[in-house]
Amino acid sequence: MFNKFVVDIIVDGDCRGKPLVLDTYISFFGEVDPYKGIHLPTNSLFKGRVMVFRGARGSTVGSYIIYGLKKYGTNPLCMIVSKPDPILITGTVLAEIPLFIVKNYDVFIKNISENTIILHRKGEGWVEIIG
Amino acid sequence: MYLSREQEKMLNGEYGWVYARALEVIVKVGESLGAEKLVPIVHAHISGVSYTNIGEPGLGFIKDFYSKGARVRVYSTINPGCIDLAGSSQVISSSFREKQLEINMYLEKMGFEKTFTCIPYLHRKPGINEHLAWGESSAVIFANSIFGARTNREGGPLALAAALTGYTYYWGLHILDNRVVSTKIDVSSIRGEYYGALGLWLGEHIREIPMLTGISGRLDLLKILLAASAASGDHGLIVLENITPEKTYLVNDKIETVFVDENEIEEYIGSMPSRKDKILGYIGCPHLDPYEFEKLVEIISKNDKGVGDNLLLVSIPYIYMEVFKDEIGFLKSRGVDIVVGTCPIVSKLSREFDYLVTNSGKAVFYMSRLHKLNTYITSFERTVDLVYGG
Repeated sequence: MFNKFVVDIIVDGDCRGKPLVLDTYISFFGEVDPYKGIHLPTNSLFKGRVMVFRGARGSTVGSYIIYGLKKYGTNPLCMIVSKPDPILITGTVLAEIPLFIVKNYDVFIKNISENTIILHRKGEGWVEIIG
Repeated sequence: MYLSREQEKMLNGEYGWVYARALEVIVKVGESLGAEKLVPIVHAHISGVSYTNIGEPGLGFIKDFYSKGARVRVYSTINPGCIDLAGSSQVISSSFREKQLEINMYLEKMGFEKTFTCIPYLHRKPGINEHLAWGESSAVIFANSIFGARTNREGGPLALAAALTGYTYYWGLHILDNRVVSTKIDVSSIRGEYYGALGLWLGEHIREIPMLTGISGRLDLLKILLAASAASGDHGLIVLENITPEKTYLVNDKIETVFVDENEIEEYIGSMPSRKDKILGYIGCPHLDPYEFEKLVEIISKNDKGVGDNLLLVSIPYIYMEVFKDEIGFLKSRGVDIVVGTCPIVSKLSREFDYLVTNSGKAVFYMSRLHKLNTYITSFERTVDLVYGG
């Protein structure tokens, strides 16, 4: 069992919580309800969760939506993705939401489930899977 | 990434939270792309200011940044918003008027010039090899291809961060070695009235940086062509033979020339409307330059027909409200729907039509998707003619 995964840190911060895995690229403009903290195509709540997804796509307005999540208190605890892009980096820097690029994304998502906890401590170069 | 002492200080918060976040955005995006340093810019132009697009989250962000002390550090201009600033349009909805005016107010207080236009080079002409950070794809490609300036296609928030800090990441089209022509396209058989359609074809069929040969030297037509190719593709630079300043690009040793003719771009031109169709004629995408505007005044003053159920929509820069006050009054008296400082593509239309007739490939690209209209690309003059029952 792997339980530690190396990450590149884009925005650092403590993060501990249950994961929500959306194994896809997300357009924050159009596919997210920022007032509820919901990913619309799958109708899943990311508010208060560790949001795991491939990356962002679509309009650069997406950065403002990510900023809005923090403002409305609907933000995920942190984001763990496979690929960084300007929309996501801009949004998470402005909103001060931790963002990590996990090196071994495909193995990482196979090792997590609803019953696991994801943990990152500020300053460490990895995320841990607990449970 | 290498940072100067001044940039280090900004990033560490010595100029305040807002500037630290703005520079952090530029540094981190730059690092993810592989940029090794930042470059000072002389002009930022921000897109992503229309309330229809950015909504409450965008308005909230701009408001927060303003109230936390954000002020521009370089000459900075603003793209059109979603309302007619003259306030008399028959077709552009004014339902978001208060919201858009609020966004505009914060931007003005941050020190942005009140340009509200997609042709910021009307206000300040970029110099050769000057570094810029511009949003608005049609302006970016015009700056690189016509003026030989250097800018990438920045997203709204990144251009805003560049306006506040005066820097952008040194990457992409900022570097001469990335401005390399690798195909030549001979467009000499395409008539100017179809440059909007040619631009759409280029955007969809050509991936690398092309050099166009046999091209018209008319800036109004080139503006249309470049805007369309930047809309349907991701071009930021198209080299125009004998027009793009020398030494602002390189050319690969062995390149082939491709010929394109009007048959190949036919599907982008579309078909002529019939007499029964309700026509929305649209010119001003990108916004009309002063010469085009004066040409319009001349055409309309010679035309004595009515518009019936049709409408001629014309979008112009905000500054014309002062400069061409009488001409705007005259055009309105002839039923022309002159809209100021706005963009029909990022606005809501409050009337329905069967057909969009325009010289603009970019307008066709977006409005056919948003408003489900049939489309026909033709010349500036013919667009006016068709609306006025010609």
